[in-house]
Amino acid sequence: MFKNRHTNISLLVVILFGCVLFYIGTDGFKAFTEETARVNKLVDEQPEFPDVTLEDSKGRTYSLSEFEDKYLFITFLYTSCNTVCPQLEYNMAQVYDLLPQKYIGEDIVFLSISFDPERDDPSTLERYRKAFKSDGETWRMARIKDQNELDSLLEKFGVIVIPDGRGNFTHNSAFYLVDKNRRLIDVMDFTEIEAAAVKVTSILEKEVGVK
Amino acid sequence: MMTQFIYGLLFYIFLMLPPVANLVESIMITHMHMQMPMLVISGFLMAGIFLKRFPRFFEKWNSNGIPGITLFMIVIICWTIPRTMDEALTLQAIEAWKFISLPFLAGFPLRDSWKKLTKAGKNLIIIIFTVKYFGMGALYIWSEDQLCNNYLVIDQLTLGWGFITTAICLVIYLVYAFTVDPTKYE
Repeated sequence: MFKNRHTNISLLVVILFGCVLFYIGTDGFKAFTEETARVNKLVDEQPEFPDVTLEDSKGRTYSLSEFEDKYLFITFLYTSCNTVCPQLEYNMAQVYDLLPQKYIGEDIVFLSISFDPERDDPSTLERYRKAFKSDGETWRMARIKDQNELDSLLEKFGVIVIPDGRGNFTHNSAFYLVDKNRRLIDVMDFTEIEAAAVKVTSILEKEVGVK
Repeated sequence: MMTQFIYGLLFYIFLMLPPVANLVESIMITHMHMQMPMLVISGFLMAGIFLKRFPRFFEKWNSNGIPGITLFMIVIICWTIPRTMDEALTLQAIEAWKFISLPFLAGFPLRDSWKKLTKAGKNLIIIIFTVKYFGMGALYIWSEDQLCNNYLVIDQLTLGWGFITTAICLVIYLVYAFTVDPTKYE
């Protein structure tokens, strides 16, 4: 079967080619999906949170300077979603509860941003906020009314939102952590609640230690 | 041979037309189970004339068909990774790579290699694909996550079942190949 030398050589070449192809195609066997590749890239690049105007569930509008000198723990959602978003927010609430109370509101603010500004007006967000027992201060729910601003944020943070034409969206979900310099420093798996809480706590502890 | 080459080439050009490419790529299952196999087929059709013109080259470097079929499998497996499908949609270079690799690195070697394989070799390849398709089907159906950012989750489920159905067809073929002896009916 393996008598022909040339054929053996070409088989070897083909196998080497395959290894190189898979190595490059998956960033060294690290990213088999676009989502993993996206997260790895974001954490590398640390994009800056662009200038946007938020309108929260209390109807207040403000820019990001509202949260000066605070970390931001962010999720992206739309309230009409009945699949992954409630789970995402429920998990976010658990992270909120797991963090040491002293940091909340002082060093870190939780922020849920809607990418469906048309339907998610302040009163809708207010209802959603109550459902998840967020206090509206240290955990705020907000929309970005200006579509251009919203799009620029989604693009920078690699949030892909595809409308399915029936009022729902398919979108990728994660916990996003933005530091005091408005840089995205981590994207965490939203199903790993404890890991996220531990990570955020250790980052905050380090930060307070510097103070 | 020449007519086959021309048909293959026309088919290839047809698949490259932007409206055609956009249409089949807009749905996940047609992207993977229609466009990709058709690209392989176009390469398969175009290959004939080259095999005829350079028989010594293929005889020398692919005498038993194993390197060729391995290359074919590598390219096909590469294109069933969720990420490559996504990137074909977002990155031009990957899209170009798809249109080059599938006809010329999968279709070409398949044509030269398949007839050189023994019956056991052929069945082995089909068994590998059956296992792989069941595996990929399970991955796309039962994955908790959205695997491709550019497609809806419902598309992902459809694709998963497409894989399973294909795998079932392969199993039927294998059962036939191992149980029915065609010479009895001749």
